[in-house]
Amino acid sequence: MDDLQYFKDAAASNEWSLIWPEISVGLLALSLLVVEMLVPKMKNRLVPMIAMIGLSVITVTLVLSWVGMGVSYGESFAGLLFQSGFGESMRLFFLLGGLFICFLGYVTLQGRAIPRVEFFHIVLVVTAALMLLAQSNHFVMIFITLETVTIGFYILVSYFRNQPISLEAGLKYLILGGLSTGLLLFGIALLYGAAGNPQLAGATAEGLNLQALRAFLLNHGDHTLAVAGMLLVLFGIAFKVAVFPFQIWVPDVYQGAPTAVTAFLGVCSKAAGFALMIILVTRTFNVETMTSITVPLLSLMAIFSLLYGNLTALTQQNTKRLMGLSGISHAGFLLAGVVAAVHVDWAVWAVVFYLFSYMFSSFAVFGVMAFVEGKNPGEGEELIDYTGLYQRSPFLGTVLGIGLGSLAGIPPLVGFIGKALVFIALFQAGLYVLLLVGALSVAISIFYYFGWMRTAFFGDGPDTEKDYPAIEVPLPKRVPLAIIAGITVFLGFIQVPLAAVLGL
Amino acid sequence: MSAETLVVILLFALPFLSAAVIGIWFRLQGNIAAAISVASCGVVALLGLWLVFFGERSVAPAPVEWLTFGTYTVNMGYYFNDLAALLLFIVVVVGLLVHIFSLEYMRKDEGKARYFAGLSLFMFSMIGIVFADNLIMIFIFWELVGLSSFLLINHYFHKPSAVAASKKAFIVNRVGDFGFLIGIIWAYWHFGTVELSVLADMVGQDSDILVTGIGLLLFCSALGKSGQIPLHVWLPDAMEGPTPVSALIHAATMVAAGIYLLCRIYFLIPPEALVVVLWVGVITALFGSLCAITQKDIKKILAYSTISQLGYMVAAFGLGALAVKNGVPVMQAGVAAAMFHLFTHAFFKALLFLGSGSIIHACHHEQNIYRMGGLRTKMPVTFVTFTIAYLALIGLPFITAGFFSKEAILYLAFANNKLAFLVLLFSALLTAFYMTRLWLTVFFGAPKSEAAEESKENGLLITVPLGILAFFSIIAGWEFLHPQAFSGILDGIPHPSGWTYLLMVALGSGAMAIGVAAAYVYFGVGSRQDRLEREHPGVYAFLSAKFFFDQVYNWYVKTIQERLALLLHFIDQIFISGLIIRGSAGVLGLCSTGLRNLQTGNLQHYLYWIFFGVVVFWILGRTVFS
Repeated sequence: MDDLQYFKDAAASNEWSLIWPEISVGLLALSLLVVEMLVPKMKNRLVPMIAMIGLSVITVTLVLSWVGMGVSYGESFAGLLFQSGFGESMRLFFLLGGLFICFLGYVTLQGRAIPRVEFFHIVLVVTAALMLLAQSNHFVMIFITLETVTIGFYILVSYFRNQPISLEAGLKYLILGGLSTGLLLFGIALLYGAAGNPQLAGATAEGLNLQALRAFLLNHGDHTLAVAGMLLVLFGIAFKVAVFPFQIWVPDVYQGAPTAVTAFLGVCSKAAGFALMIILVTRTFNVETMTSITVPLLSLMAIFSLLYGNLTALTQQNTKRLMGLSGISHAGFLLAGVVAAVHVDWAVWAVVFYLFSYMFSSFAVFGVMAFVEGKNPGEGEELIDYTGLYQRSPFLGTVLGIGLGSLAGIPPLVGFIGKALVFIALFQAGLYVLLLVGALSVAISIFYYFGWMRTAFFGDGPDTEKDYPAIEVPLPKRVPLAIIAGITVFLGFIQVPLAAVLGL
Repeated sequence: MSAETLVVILLFALPFLSAAVIGIWFRLQGNIAAAISVASCGVVALLGLWLVFFGERSVAPAPVEWLTFGTYTVNMGYYFNDLAALLLFIVVVVGLLVHIFSLEYMRKDEGKARYFAGLSLFMFSMIGIVFADNLIMIFIFWELVGLSSFLLINHYFHKPSAVAASKKAFIVNRVGDFGFLIGIIWAYWHFGTVELSVLADMVGQDSDILVTGIGLLLFCSALGKSGQIPLHVWLPDAMEGPTPVSALIHAATMVAAGIYLLCRIYFLIPPEALVVVLWVGVITALFGSLCAITQKDIKKILAYSTISQLGYMVAAFGLGALAVKNGVPVMQAGVAAAMFHLFTHAFFKALLFLGSGSIIHACHHEQNIYRMGGLRTKMPVTFVTFTIAYLALIGLPFITAGFFSKEAILYLAFANNKLAFLVLLFSALLTAFYMTRLWLTVFFGAPKSEAAEESKENGLLITVPLGILAFFSIIAGWEFLHPQAFSGILDGIPHPSGWTYLLMVALGSGAMAIGVAAAYVYFGVGSRQDRLEREHPGVYAFLSAKFFFDQVYNWYVKTIQERLALLLHFIDQIFISGLIIRGSAGVLGLCSTGLRNLQTGNLQHYLYWIFFGVVVFWILGRTVFS
């Protein structure tokens, strides 16, 4: 009878209306397949258009629903999900991310003999999973959504299956990703085992539920199995966000993946990891016995990531590897923000703001990369291929300048505000070493970001003899890039709209 | 929003939009640019006159929050009183006339659009100074007028002398503005605010809080902008710009802004600082008129004359005395006399410059007065109007505007400081002397060059503004005609009475008469050569060296500043750039190459790496940190 009652209660808490955006995105993904079947020979832009328009409509509806009904708060689906302002803002983040990735995919896939509907289908499925991930409140939910995302990425990374480099990247990501999933799952098992040990006071059968787990950890945060589990879970996630020492896969995978997928991996996959970091580090493992471990350990990871990412990027000539390596240093910043959020509540929003700023700035750069690269593997990916980009296409040059400037954290662009917020949080949390290393790494990063800009604007690359053709960007394709660049500049001046969304 | 606020916003917006529109879209279409600029200036003039005569005087009715530093917020607001109304009147009237004059004067200029964009930018900046309600806002517009002045002096940028002059103007003004900026910061630090109205209230409640240093530093602004010794050196060189610009910016409005600023912040200038102000003004007045005697370039003579007259205004301000009545700070007589002279001077000096512009235009850009001559018959309108302005400047009694305003200053000096009075009186004599030299040489005798021979009167676009300015050059001094709008300022003009009045008139007109007579006798009518240069080369050389200010500055820059700069450059190259920058870049580059070699591309290596990472961080987590 108890079991029946349990399932009845669980079913009663299934509020499907709460996850209408995820359901809509999923249905949109399915509808793409139907469209492709019904109009199989069409070479037009129908599929990406439907994907983009659909995502836009869902995004706008989501924002309007906040205005109209406010943000819901609390558990649902028997504790699998937890609705909160944080989850809502990450939903918006992933919707916007998916939207731009569809645009990038449209640009990247154009003129290639590669099936395209699968790309958009997988991107939408992954987007829906990412949105659920950010609201999850249960290790089962976390694991399932994370695996949906990761398996989607295995396919996407090797999407150019006629190119060995893409296949190699996919294989590397699959094997290393499998390792990290193993670590994560092992950690979850250990935590569940520790929490379910009947010999301990306060043991719970609900050890996979994060609230229940936290209640257990309050008493047994120093339990050997629990600490071991926590460490393994964090290591597993550290792989997803690519912080030191789990960053080693980044350059190879980023380089081999199609540019749109590189952007997806670099922005949305990373953000998913940090959403989990925030949920786990600041809301679950935030018991005193554990923060004494997590704060120094994650700080150390952040410091190494900042230094490693920026130092290796200094002499990097391939732009995709460069973005990957600089992404490691941005992950260092974000991790530093997460560490600060253990003690300073609002730092969570600093991290989310940083994620948004990183998304807009990176997309500006990735967007330009999608137009500069050629159709063959490795073509148009080196720094010298950007020689005189501003002269060849003033539009792309300007967008690239804005994106890189924002990534480097130059005021008045949004990247500066993001970094400033993290710095303030670090200062308030008293993490002065992190603050110092962060400031130092900003100085180093300016070197290579500006080197790239110098090549693009003043064209004194090593190979100026070569003739670089002008790049024409048709007007419709300019619009998304211009919007992204515009947001990057606008949010640098006025943060009110984003801050209102984030509750800063 | 009140009508006044709306008008003020329009006054800011129109010239700014005009400059922006020309700068963005019409850089190459000179005629469209001129039309836009003149039209905007015309509307600005109408709105400005409405505000002057019918607008309500108000203190910062709707300030806009602009920047917040810690606990202090910088507002953008306006503060409109009779003082501001007076300057606004000058700016819009002279500004509009100069715009119209420029239509003809710059007709064939290649950089016409650039020129009119510059004029519009200047109008915007100058209106900003007129209305600004706090020191920081004043400073911003202060720099903007400096910028537009720089751009316009630099108009003929293919001429090296124009480039050098604009650079000089900019740098010399920097020196004064630096003092101004320190003064503003000190004022904020000391008073806790930079809002003019709040500051006035604070001084009204306790005038002991004033600090001499702040007053002197704020006076630095006028030192640079109004060409007072020792920062006057840029103003004669600034004559490289087009002549209408000289009339508007370097005679009537911008250079007068220094005096306006002093009058605007009179309550911050304590008596000790006023003494310094007084003597700087007196010495400048004398110095300017001495230098003007030996100049041959018609515009340079007028430039030194401007310096001298600005000296009068500064001296008049320095002769005032700060008092507090019923909790309101009052500056007696000084502000009124200074602003009165500023008011009349703006018209007759702008007229002199536009007149000289008319002559230069007719004589194909000949500026040497000894290559003109006989223009009285060739250019009758210019002659008549120029003569009116000339009489106003030397102060023809009872008729011209200049007489009344100069008398007011002389009387103020007579009543307060006899020594200053004597110097100023002597300067008045010199003024009559050098202006008569110019007048007799340019307009009488026979033409002394082909250009002067062929010259003829200009069209209406030039002569009408001359006529209007001539009208104001006379009636601006008649106090019974002064409108109610300026009563807050001009009612305070000091008047002598009884025998003092007779004495003042006698002395003033006597000095003028002696100066005119001396010049007539010494230089003669329509002379071909400078008699002073021929007969007394020593005196001439001494005066034309302009007291060696330029030489001293050049010596300082060459021997001290440049050597220091070279030394610093050396240190920078060896230590900063060599060791620290390149050294650290090298170290980082090595690290980078080393770390890059970790990326072998081999999957097994990566797996070992991650495994190794797990082990190390596991041990750290389990032992060191727990």
